[in-house]
Amino acid sequence: MIFLTVGTQFPFDRLVKSVDEVVSQDGFSDDIFAQIGESSYRPHNFEAVSFLEKRLFDKHIREASGIISHAGIGTIMMALDDRKPLLVMPRLKEYGEVVGDHQVAISRKFEELGHILVAHSKGDLLDRIKKLQSFVPQQRTNQAEVTADRITKFLYELSSLRKS
Amino acid sequence: MVLVLMSNRLKICLAASAGGHISQLLKLAESWKGYETCCVTTTGVVQEKLQKYGKVYVVGECNREHLLKVVAVFVRCVNIILRERPNVVISTGAAVGCVMCFLGKLLGANVVWIDSITNVEQISLSGRMVKYVADLFLVQWPELAEQYSNAEYVGAVV
Repeated sequence: MIFLTVGTQFPFDRLVKSVDEVVSQDGFSDDIFAQIGESSYRPHNFEAVSFLEKRLFDKHIREASGIISHAGIGTIMMALDDRKPLLVMPRLKEYGEVVGDHQVAISRKFEELGHILVAHSKGDLLDRIKKLQSFVPQQRTNQAEVTADRITKFLYELSSLRKS
Repeated sequence: MVLVLMSNRLKICLAASAGGHISQLLKLAESWKGYETCCVTTTGVVQEKLQKYGKVYVVGECNREHLLKVVAVFVRCVNIILRERPNVVISTGAAVGCVMCFLGKLLGANVVWIDSITNVEQISLSGRMVKYVADLFLVQWPELAEQYSNAEYVGAVV
């Protein structure tokens, strides 16, 4: 089962509609389940709900064979943590989908690093969806611990200054 | 002795928009362990996740395209900062984090800013403003630390 999510904050009709249109084409047979948020487009070719309660949302992420989503960093983080193949379509400012084009930049960077697949429009979507099942994401190591240590050090120095 | 230690403990306000900003901030939870904390965020979606870090304030969504909403959020943030009076504000953005950092600074708080990993080519608009008042300003791409004099690169949180 492929899980399609648009995130919790804004609609993403362009993504939902594109996926709906390409899956009816030849060569695609997987099940899709979608969380479409406030998107007004209702898909014909797969089941969709507007919102999922957190526990159920997490369950779908865990059980999915692959994830299709907007290029929100929250979703990217979830997929990386669970080592799920992830295909993103960046939201674009020109369509009013997001306030800036940061989704394009992070998509490009993470695609270069092999962590995700990216489709920019319906044109490259079918090809990427077909690649999704066999895509093995490059693992990512982060420096959250050393960053937290840096902040710990800062807070400790601040505490010491206050005591003296 | 215990009372003296507690009154010297820093009070920290964590501020971040729901979604990727909060997700990145929570990766750093080890850093504020043992301190008194409260949280400011934009929607109730993340309230449950944040409750273990103290009182959670939900101020509503705002971004630069809806200035009236920014004003409403600003007023709520003023009330929070006056009530909580944190010694430190830690934020990953976005607009709500920016507002809390400035308000905190006005009341004498120290400011820690971690710019979101999504800002690959340049620091976020909020970040570019906050860096004037930040006491610790962290970026997640090494090239960005080269662009700005007080920006520090330690690593990527994601």
